[in-house]
Amino acid sequence: MTSATLTTAPAGDAAAAAREAAPTVPGARGRAWAPTLAAVGRRLVGAVVVLWASVTVAFVALQLAPGSSIDALVPPTQRTPEAVAAVTAEWGLDRPVVQQYVDYLVRLLHGDLGTSYQLHRPVTDVIVSELGPTLQLAAAGLAVALVLAVLLAVSTAGRPWASRIANGIELTIVSVPEFWLGIVLLFVFSFSLGWFPVAGANGIASLVLPATALGLGLVGLVSQVLREGVERSLEQPYALSVRARGVSETALRVRHSLRHASLPVVTLLGWLVGGLLGGVIIVEQVFGRPGIGVVALQAAQGRDLPVVLGVALLSALVYVVVNTVVDLLALVIDPRLRTGAGHDRRARDHGRAAVVGHGRPPGRGPAAGARSPPPDAALGRAARVRGARAAPAGRRVPRAVRLARAA
Amino acid sequence: MSATSARSHGPLRRRPAALAATALSVSAALVLAACSGGADAGTKASDSATPQAGGTLTWGVETEPVTLNPQLNGQDKTKLLLRNAYEQLLARQDDGTYVPWLASAYKVSDDELTYTFTLRDDVTFWDGEKLDAAAVVTNLKQQLNPKYNPYGAAGPLSHLKSATATDDRTVTLVLKEKYAPFLDYVGSLPLISPKSYAKADVQAGGPDIAGTGPFVLTKYVKGQELDFTKNKDYAWAPATAKHQGAAYLDALTYRFLPESSVRLGALQSGQVDVIEGVPGTQAAQFQKNGAFTYQTALNTGTPYSLYFNTLSGPTSDVKVREAFRDAVDLDAVLKSVYAGQRTRAWSAVSPEDPSFYDKSLEGTYGNDKDAANKLLDEAGWTGRDSDGYRTKDGKRLTITDYQSQPYVRDQRDTLLQAIQAQVKQNAGIDFDVQVVDSGVSDEHRAKNDYGTYDNSNTNPDGVDIEYHWLPADKGGFINLSNVTDPQLTTWLTAAQQTTDTAKRAEQYDALQQYVIKEKAYSFPLYEPEDQIAASSKVHGTGFRTYYQLPEGAYDVWLSK
Repeated sequence: MTSATLTTAPAGDAAAAAREAAPTVPGARGRAWAPTLAAVGRRLVGAVVVLWASVTVAFVALQLAPGSSIDALVPPTQRTPEAVAAVTAEWGLDRPVVQQYVDYLVRLLHGDLGTSYQLHRPVTDVIVSELGPTLQLAAAGLAVALVLAVLLAVSTAGRPWASRIANGIELTIVSVPEFWLGIVLLFVFSFSLGWFPVAGANGIASLVLPATALGLGLVGLVSQVLREGVERSLEQPYALSVRARGVSETALRVRHSLRHASLPVVTLLGWLVGGLLGGVIIVEQVFGRPGIGVVALQAAQGRDLPVVLGVALLSALVYVVVNTVVDLLALVIDPRLRTGAGHDRRARDHGRAAVVGHGRPPGRGPAAGARSPPPDAALGRAARVRGARAAPAGRRVPRAVRLARAA
Repeated sequence: MSATSARSHGPLRRRPAALAATALSVSAALVLAACSGGADAGTKASDSATPQAGGTLTWGVETEPVTLNPQLNGQDKTKLLLRNAYEQLLARQDDGTYVPWLASAYKVSDDELTYTFTLRDDVTFWDGEKLDAAAVVTNLKQQLNPKYNPYGAAGPLSHLKSATATDDRTVTLVLKEKYAPFLDYVGSLPLISPKSYAKADVQAGGPDIAGTGPFVLTKYVKGQELDFTKNKDYAWAPATAKHQGAAYLDALTYRFLPESSVRLGALQSGQVDVIEGVPGTQAAQFQKNGAFTYQTALNTGTPYSLYFNTLSGPTSDVKVREAFRDAVDLDAVLKSVYAGQRTRAWSAVSPEDPSFYDKSLEGTYGNDKDAANKLLDEAGWTGRDSDGYRTKDGKRLTITDYQSQPYVRDQRDTLLQAIQAQVKQNAGIDFDVQVVDSGVSDEHRAKNDYGTYDNSNTNPDGVDIEYHWLPADKGGFINLSNVTDPQLTTWLTAAQQTTDTAKRAEQYDALQQYVIKEKAYSFPLYEPEDQIAASSKVHGTGFRTYYQLPEGAYDVWLSK
């Protein structure tokens, strides 16, 4: 997937930049794959490091947390020396911590995530059986967030009063905890109106309210970023020329501005997925839905080490996959990014500025903000947003972004 | 106890006031089939209409089982689910006496060392296995297998010498020494099909693990629901049930709804038919509404109490402990926190326990501000700091409670905050309540670094008294006051070695006077209870006799 996109890309409108960055050498055609393979390799190594780091951090955190697994596993009224010894031996908790860690990694390499202390089931089984409902919920929540955000942003951008009202609504929703939002949705649409069932994962109807509760929490941020982007692009000279061609305002916004504005949102996806993962724990609890969130919560409370590590691994994997998808999406949305291996620092900084979306690179055309950041510069898109801290003071940062940072 | 009946709206649960004699009568072969004539008469007052078979019931429950294996699951709150599928040898009536269930009779030898159970001969598990003596022995032996049940060998079975299938229908158990709670343990062990022990998922439990119950466990969706269908062949209900033969309902679904507001809303909007777990402040909407029934039953075991750390800190002084409880107007606190929906506790035993609850403690202590201040003056806490708290040698009178977050339910955090306000205002005590995760709470307990420890427990039949008041290394697993007083052990040992309820009660009464009133080792607050709220079309819900937790759905039926 990656290689296909990357190799076709330089043929695009930024071929000049590609030539500039990678001087043409006779016979280079055969070696065109090399940078791509290297990028893929770097990506894979990075993924492994991220997975290992997340498991390690989770392992260390659980070891440092007060209390012991034995206390959580053996009920107080059965905590005889014999019972404690039996449980300790059963799970190998008498081994030194370092050995437990190494043993875990070795088993992990063989694809064995261990057995849940509490549930007495293989962790892989538990995760696989719970993953479906959670993915459904997360995907539906994301869809709700994106659809609502696009509608809000496109319809209110550049319209002062509508903007202000939408802004107020967005900030209100961002500030409401998902827990409370879920309860309110249930009271109105399930308990009072009876439109949707209260709980479970039985088809589309049971997905509507949880997905809405999950998605609404994210709408605010996305639409703020999107609106800024649309407003900015509407000020560009190209907008004037499009209008001059007699294209309707709506078509201008949907066909042209949205595309320009969507790049920063795509880079926010990493952050959004983090929000989704945190949100599902609460939403699943409120709505009595099966899923990873419920499993994670129980495991953390019961110090069920194998399950906690399994969930940490899964979350890291999701991040890696999402960030890869984000990078590929960025290439699809903005052809200017498909310029291959240009590693010059200036371009990278321009890319960041464009992602943050509030500065125009000096000495360039107004819309040429994102010239040639290298593909792997997009690694860790979530960090990109944090990079905006370095943005010069006085630039406007959407309030929701500031809120998210403060949180 | 009258408070319970006054606020119950639906069918009432009452336990006969009179005590039956002893739980088991020495040397007498008690063929108990005679008792099977009728269920506990006073138990279910209403529901006079004729039960109708058929229909599906949906029940919203608060707690999801960690394991579905009934022998390994220690969660009281999930027993109502597993009860539908798994059964035991004996049932207990409200007065504590035993009646037949899967065993048609039992006998205890003169020396109280040999227990003989005679099994019914018509009982089968859903997987087709027959319930015979060998099956019962297998079940008991598996409890001693540390790979299957790590705790089994340390529990009551540590007193077991041998378990034998004397013939097809007779099980003989021999003890190493007398142990009064043994019959309750063996009589209430849920039995599973011997074949089940060979299944890979036996510890996780589920549809693979066959029982003999009136419902067959058919489907489990983790985090969502547990489904049962009727066991058409069922014909061995205990004498404590309200009917015999197959269950009325065709199918049964329990939905896991951990949030109480969601559970309540689901019931009110008709999405579930029954719920358990109703906050005190929400009870009125079901009590005063003809569309619903509302029932409560106090738990067994020990009340929700504060256990003072007698080993370290200011609470090692009996005067401070007495002053603390005297500084609290507990009736007023309970009324404001629970809208009058909870029952005050006075002793070390639940008021629900007719045999061992010491009623004479009621009204004999507490709510005496002047006494509290006098005691603290005597104890040397005479200074005052700028915040109004008492001090001694420049140190503030601080008593810390680390409330373990997973156990904070039933507004217990609010309750302790209300007490915090009272002891500050009335006596200048700094009651520092910290809600922490269970690891932190465990750590403070291990280090003896706490002022009070809050706890309630539900084991009936005096077992809880032992847990709290024996020395920690002699079975006092939750001896949260760190008391090692030999006097307590003397009373408890005497009670352990007789099966005469009246004699046991004497020992326990003496102990309760001592630990509550004389030494103020613990301060009982209120007795936790279970609630069942149901749509009025649902009939036959209630609580299991003697054990008091919500009963399964065997007797439940729906009016059309």
